[in-house]
Amino acid sequence: MKKTLSVLLLVALAACGGNKRPPVVTGSTGSAGSRTTTVAPPPDTISEGPDIQPVDGSAIGATTFSDESGEGGPLADIHFEYDSAALTDEARGVLERHAAWMKAHTGLRIAVEGHCDDRGTTEYNLALGDQRARAAYDYLVSLGVPKAGLTTVSYGKERPVDPNGNEAAWAKNRRAHFAVSR
Amino acid sequence: MPDCLPRRDDPTLREACRTFTQVLRNDLKFEGIFQFVPESLFSAIPALNPDNPNFEDWKSIGAKVLVVTRADLAGSDLTIEARAYAVETGQALLTKRYAGRADNPRTFAHQLSDDVTALTQQVRGVARTRIAFVSDRDSTKEKRTKELYIADYDGFNPRRVTVNSSLNILPAWRPDGQALAYVSYRQERNPMIFLAEIFAGRSSGNITGERGGGQAFAPAWSPDGKRLVYSGNRNGNMEIYSVNADGSDHRRLTNSAASDTAPCFSPTGQEIAFTSSRTGTPQIYLMDNEGLNLRRLTTVGNWNDAPAWNPSRQYSEIAFTARIEGGFEVAVIDLATRQVRQITEGRGSCEYPTWAPNGRHLAFSCNRGGTWQVSVADREGREVVPLATGSGNNVQPDWGP
Repeated sequence: MKKTLSVLLLVALAACGGNKRPPVVTGSTGSAGSRTTTVAPPPDTISEGPDIQPVDGSAIGATTFSDESGEGGPLADIHFEYDSAALTDEARGVLERHAAWMKAHTGLRIAVEGHCDDRGTTEYNLALGDQRARAAYDYLVSLGVPKAGLTTVSYGKERPVDPNGNEAAWAKNRRAHFAVSR
Repeated sequence: MPDCLPRRDDPTLREACRTFTQVLRNDLKFEGIFQFVPESLFSAIPALNPDNPNFEDWKSIGAKVLVVTRADLAGSDLTIEARAYAVETGQALLTKRYAGRADNPRTFAHQLSDDVTALTQQVRGVARTRIAFVSDRDSTKEKRTKELYIADYDGFNPRRVTVNSSLNILPAWRPDGQALAYVSYRQERNPMIFLAEIFAGRSSGNITGERGGGQAFAPAWSPDGKRLVYSGNRNGNMEIYSVNADGSDHRRLTNSAASDTAPCFSPTGQEIAFTSSRTGTPQIYLMDNEGLNLRRLTTVGNWNDAPAWNPSRQYSEIAFTARIEGGFEVAVIDLATRQVRQITEGRGSCEYPTWAPNGRHLAFSCNRGGTWQVSVADREGREVVPLATGSGNNVQPDWGP
């Protein structure tokens, strides 16, 4: 399972292309029973926006955006500080590129999913995820992205991308994900 | 409490008797009302004559109450006769005959446990109650799901309720024990409150309706089962709302720029406890069921969330989740004295408390062993026991009738 997630994550990042160093994968990849750990992409790799390698409409149609997976897609996740829904400068940078992409790809449905790490209570994180999704939504709208087709939803801590309980996993899980569908 | 005696030498019956005895002992020990005379002392007295017990023998080893059970089997039908005596007087306190299918002797034991507990005339037993919870055990590599389950109060007989392979969370028993309100994401990325009539196999929804849009979380019932409170975001951030069970008479109860979440009713239905971050950190507040007379309850610690009001009017207290030294623990605050007592303690976290219907025990979920599991403790926090409800992570318990 963990390995599958890692692969998905890498695929997602690879699809974004970019000129920065690729994320480093450490740990074993083959031997059974050993811990396969994907080091979280350092936060700065996230800023490789999809504008570098925009995915056209037909590619979107071919890409699977599984419902409620909270992973994959043409738009990179943005990340948040612990217990915060404030957009970091880095997140704003990503959202600015996302906004440009969204304005160039109209007619799509984009759900902004707010996610949290698993520290803190279920209900609190559902509210925090809601705030995160809204913060991203509001910023996109302020950048001129049409509201039509753009929605928000909170998943709280219910759908982590990395189920581990360490700083790297938590940082990955504190995110807004952009689920794109037709 | 001597072992159940089979009326005939039949392996199925012997096994049923063994299970019955074991479950009955566990049930009564769980209630914590009776002390058990150690079985090792039974050998010091002559064997029990089930038709005519010698009470002097039982008195000599310190017994006050003697429970005699005999079982018989006819086809697939199990019968258990139970008698409870006051050892001092020899008076029969209870004489009952239980008949049913032989495939689940546990239910016989649960029934008798509740009947014996009722002899105290003070406590209503919980042996026949059930706990709803959320499990990810049905997830596949392709699709991560959370489904609602119910299990007996001791974790046995887990049964799946939802089958929609989506995210189904935050179950809340309707007070009649026939239905669960819960939040489902099954309408694509739009979490709303649904109602599962679990024994009729019907799912109706969604209670919070399309009116005004928005998403809904954390349903909780009024004690009379007529109204629900929940947190919803239709007005831009999480606020507390109440609504009739049929979706009519929607009311907004809070109005703050911060998140208001996790509401629950008091046992009288007159008041509501909820979590608000309006002072910057989550704290528990109380208000009346119209949203008036707002006051802050918790003042110690920087994270107090998920209130659960003890349903017994005998105990005026609220369980909640507190951040303590980096982890999360279940605690209880006494409403009169504002004294807080910590229920759980240790590595990892425990959260999401729910009370047994009689207010004498709590269930919650803990990740002490790497995965999240439903655990149970008494209201003083003694003996925290994880329930073996099955594989996967099992969280968000709601203890029903």
